[in-house]
Amino acid sequence: MSMMIDPTVVDLSRLQFALTALYHFLFVPLTLGMTFILATMETVYVITGKQIYKEMTQFWGKLFGINFALGVATGLTMEFEFGTNWSMYSHFVGDIFGTPLAIEGLMAFFMESTFVGVMFFGWDRISAKAHLVVTYLVALGSNLSALWILIANGFMQDPRGGTFDPNTMRMQFSNFVDLIFNVDAQAKFVHTSLAGFVTGSMFVMAVSAYYLLTKRHQDLARRSFRIATLFGVISSIGVVTLGDALGFIDVNAQPTKVAAMEAIWNTDRNTVSAPWNLIAFPSESQGRNLFEIGIPYVLTPLLTHTETRVIPGINQLVQDAKPRIVSGIQAMVALEAYNKDHADTQALAVFKANEKDMGFGFLAMQYAPDQDLKNINTTNLPSILDKTAKDTIPNVWVEFWAFRLMVASGFFMLGLFAFAAYYSLKNEMEKHPVLLKMALWSLPLPWIASEFGWITAENGRQPWTVYNWLPTFISASSHTIGYMAFSLVGFTLLYSSFIAAELYLMFKYARLGPTAHHGHDAAAAGGGMAGQPAFAKPSMDRK
Amino acid sequence: MKAFWNFLGLLAIMILSLFLAVITGDYGPWYFAWLVGTTMIVLIAAAGAVMFEKQEEEQQGKKGSIH
Ligand code: HEM
Repeated sequence: MSMMIDPTVVDLSRLQFALTALYHFLFVPLTLGMTFILATMETVYVITGKQIYKEMTQFWGKLFGINFALGVATGLTMEFEFGTNWSMYSHFVGDIFGTPLAIEGLMAFFMESTFVGVMFFGWDRISAKAHLVVTYLVALGSNLSALWILIANGFMQDPRGGTFDPNTMRMQFSNFVDLIFNVDAQAKFVHTSLAGFVTGSMFVMAVSAYYLLTKRHQDLARRSFRIATLFGVISSIGVVTLGDALGFIDVNAQPTKVAAMEAIWNTDRNTVSAPWNLIAFPSESQGRNLFEIGIPYVLTPLLTHTETRVIPGINQLVQDAKPRIVSGIQAMVALEAYNKDHADTQALAVFKANEKDMGFGFLAMQYAPDQDLKNINTTNLPSILDKTAKDTIPNVWVEFWAFRLMVASGFFMLGLFAFAAYYSLKNEMEKHPVLLKMALWSLPLPWIASEFGWITAENGRQPWTVYNWLPTFISASSHTIGYMAFSLVGFTLLYSSFIAAELYLMFKYARLGPTAHHGHDAAAAGGGMAGQPAFAKPSMDRK
Repeated sequence: MKAFWNFLGLLAIMILSLFLAVITGDYGPWYFAWLVGTTMIVLIAAAGAVMFEKQEEEQQGKKGSIH
């Protein structure tokens, strides 16, 4: 029954996937947000007929285009990685996982790409209203692509809509509705999409702040700043709300992730006064925090939205896993017997009775003598249980701090957007250069938050690829170490060159500004329009 | 005739929205929240820009009356 793959190969596969996914997600959020911001600007253009909003849409659209092209390139390679590096995973859940992935591919190719083309090249070919509709379709299309990926990820976090078939040894679709309306997938989609909105807002706000600080393109910058800050402040509220919802969902769906996220080692039965750790230095070897600053009375209501619900600590979760491992071992041994002889109905019955724990049986395999669960007996069972149960907990240190960094960035950005929106609404932004500078220098924050968000989500899911069903270490393909090392270096170089290209082009075009519109620049270069009579504002009067 | 087509178009959008609202409202409360929330974010940001134009005009008016 050995399905073991060289641990180094597994680690290299994980490293490669983590790196490519994190690289890819440097591009995605900007696309998710910018498309809707472009649609907003264009809406104002169509409603008011003011030319400057068309110029804004085109200028920011150009920056969006650079990002879009590179994002698609990094996304494509990822889809192949499932097949090449995670063949066991693809075999096991391909029936379910493949469907949303395929829909995403179709959406990305046909809907997004077609409409993006019309959006860029159709300005003079179709009417303003038709173009606006196209821009909205691009925005919807890119967010819908993300939706299908997050449905796939939702399945990995909280598998719903599939059942294991002992005859084919694969997970099979049981219910499409359960898959797409999985509450974990829903909340993930909204959190991630809004994270994209925040990213787009931050991008437009920061570049506009740069123009305002350097007194260039002020007409464009002031208006963009207004739109971006309002967009950002509401999106940030949404991100925080949905982040809270995700945590709440995880309390039910992924208790091991939650315990690690909050560095809770011991279950606190005094639910009302249970402290929430603001800062902690967790030690996995000692099973406790070496140092912590906790705020009492916060934990239970924050996570469970009640005063009474007990949140199990890591040490308890480790003990709770043991009976499931025992049951899982029985399931897997029975499954093997059934596979040898499909007439063995008794084996099938034993399997069925323990099926929900079969993932824990998989997990124990690496510690069984010769990786064969049949070799487990009463003598070696206790030590196998100890080791396997410990493995059910993700890396606490990474989980705790990745989560904290995301949340801290989130609250900081919310505050920044709120102040910026307030002063923008009063048209006093330029009186606050410090705030403008903060807006400029905070540019990397949404990317940092998103990367740590994914680390929270995916590190927290370990040791599983499909939570409680399929361990990561048997999901990989059995490549050689040489092959994996080679492709890892290749991917890293390729993706780094994409990032370099993005940064180079973005800085170049953002520095240049909306150069195509000279009439406008000349006016802005004269110190802005605010103090001038209306007739000096060509852009405002043109319809 | 144009008004009629506009009416039909808006009617179609309304029926689609109602359909989406009923389906997502029943099965996917967070999807529903996303639809409503995104619409709201776009509208408020757009309203902010329209307000900007109004403020500009007022400021121009004030400046104009001083001279
Ligand atoms: C107070 C603020 C926030 C809270 C409470 C929060 C909460 C969470 C939680 C609990 C997860 C893990 C979901 C899982 O169980 O798998 C997560 C993931 C994530 N977060 Fe946040 N988050 C916050 C702010 C942000 C911000 C500001 C961004 C980016 C701008 C962001 C981007 C992400 C991303 C991209 C993921 C991974 C995808 C996902 O699981 O949805 N988060 N967040």
